[in-house]
Amino acid sequence: MSRVRLLERDLAPLLSRGWYRADGSASPLTRSLATAPDVMETLMPFLGAIYSESSLDLATKELVIVRVSKLNGCRYCIAAHRPAARDAGVPVEHIEALCDERPLAELPERESAIVDWIDVVTLAAGEVTDELTARLLDHLREDQLVELTLVAGATTMLNQYCTALGIPPP
Amino acid sequence: MREAVESAIDEGRMGDRLWLYATYHCNLACVYCLTESHPRIADRRRLADEAMVRAAREARELGFTCVGITGGETFMLPSFPETLAKIASILPTVALTNGTLFSDRVLKRLEPLAGADAAVQISLDSDTPERNDGLRGPENFAKVVEAVPKLVERGIRVRIATTVDDQGPAEIEGVCALHRSWGIPDEDHVVRSVVRRGRADVKGMGIVPGEHDILPELTLTADGAFLHPFAPTVRHGVTDLDLLVSRQIAPLEAPAAAFLRIVADQPAGADVVRDIR
Repeated sequence: MSRVRLLERDLAPLLSRGWYRADGSASPLTRSLATAPDVMETLMPFLGAIYSESSLDLATKELVIVRVSKLNGCRYCIAAHRPAARDAGVPVEHIEALCDERPLAELPERESAIVDWIDVVTLAAGEVTDELTARLLDHLREDQLVELTLVAGATTMLNQYCTALGIPPP
Repeated sequence: MREAVESAIDEGRMGDRLWLYATYHCNLACVYCLTESHPRIADRRRLADEAMVRAAREARELGFTCVGITGGETFMLPSFPETLAKIASILPTVALTNGTLFSDRVLKRLEPLAGADAAVQISLDSDTPERNDGLRGPENFAKVVEAVPKLVERGIRVRIATTVDDQGPAEIEGVCALHRSWGIPDEDHVVRSVVRRGRADVKGMGIVPGEHDILPELTLTADGAFLHPFAPTVRHGVTDLDLLVSRQIAPLEAPAAAFLRIVADQPAGADVVRDIR
């Protein structure tokens, strides 16, 4: 049960309505954010930049989102991003491994290095080591490491938001 | 930004008045109240005196030419007479009130307003106590007819506002006869319909305003900035957000910028089709 209003488009502030789809629908997350149009104006483009395809491919981003959401226990984000990860080309068995439904050991080396990095960043960022970083940089450029870490951080922020406010999964 | 504000005002896309919702607290509980205000309201959502004075100063800098203060009942705020005088020294100001709290002590504190570019706008919905008080609350009529001459005597400009539900022309004419008898000219008598929002919506009263029926006038409340003073309404204790402009109210430039973006879509020259003011 949501702890904040989930506004239908017609009841949303005028400047929030632009973030709804043409048919007037929107995700529960968007509908909850609509009560704060000023925040939305900054947050939505930020999330768009962080989560859309960039120098880091969409499949890698979705892999990060699913794993971070699993670690943070966010029902909303897992429900929203399992299908998104599949659509982005993440194999189903990888998604299941990210959700601890299969052994993580089955992941290929690149994905395994990313998951190891993400787990430490999410659970104890102070414990990131140079060795862990070097292992990841075997697969990613420096700018991609920056972006991947921002994806993880933004996802934790949304995980906390959705969980604390009880945003119902889509 | 001043240029943009002045241009939007000149083109009729927005009003020149900044509105301030001083408080949602009220000693009455009118049947058509937009904000469900009443004496025991849990969340009074008042704007601090200094926030209202600051907003008036910033409004003047941005090209607004006058201020309106409403609520709730403005005179429920203990320091309101002094705050009103301060705001009126910055821009011409009208304060909306139900006219029931003008004790001799309050009248004395209002004396600095004599001759100032300020007015108090008192609600009076009928020329008969029973009809007026049925809409507004017990003894409201008697208190208003007692207060108005005292204010006028002290040189304070008084406007009368009549909110129309089912009153007929004869009843409105009766109110006109009353305000004329107090020396209040016709141009200082505002007559407008009940707007179907807030408690009026719950009770099925009033007219449903169309998208361009009400002139946008930047309106600040403790909940944020809204499109016009009929926008920050409350139904079943929850503030409507459909006409929210911005959650930020200070500095005024922030909500004013968001407001200008919205009124950019307002047809130039569009005005109050139904004279809802």
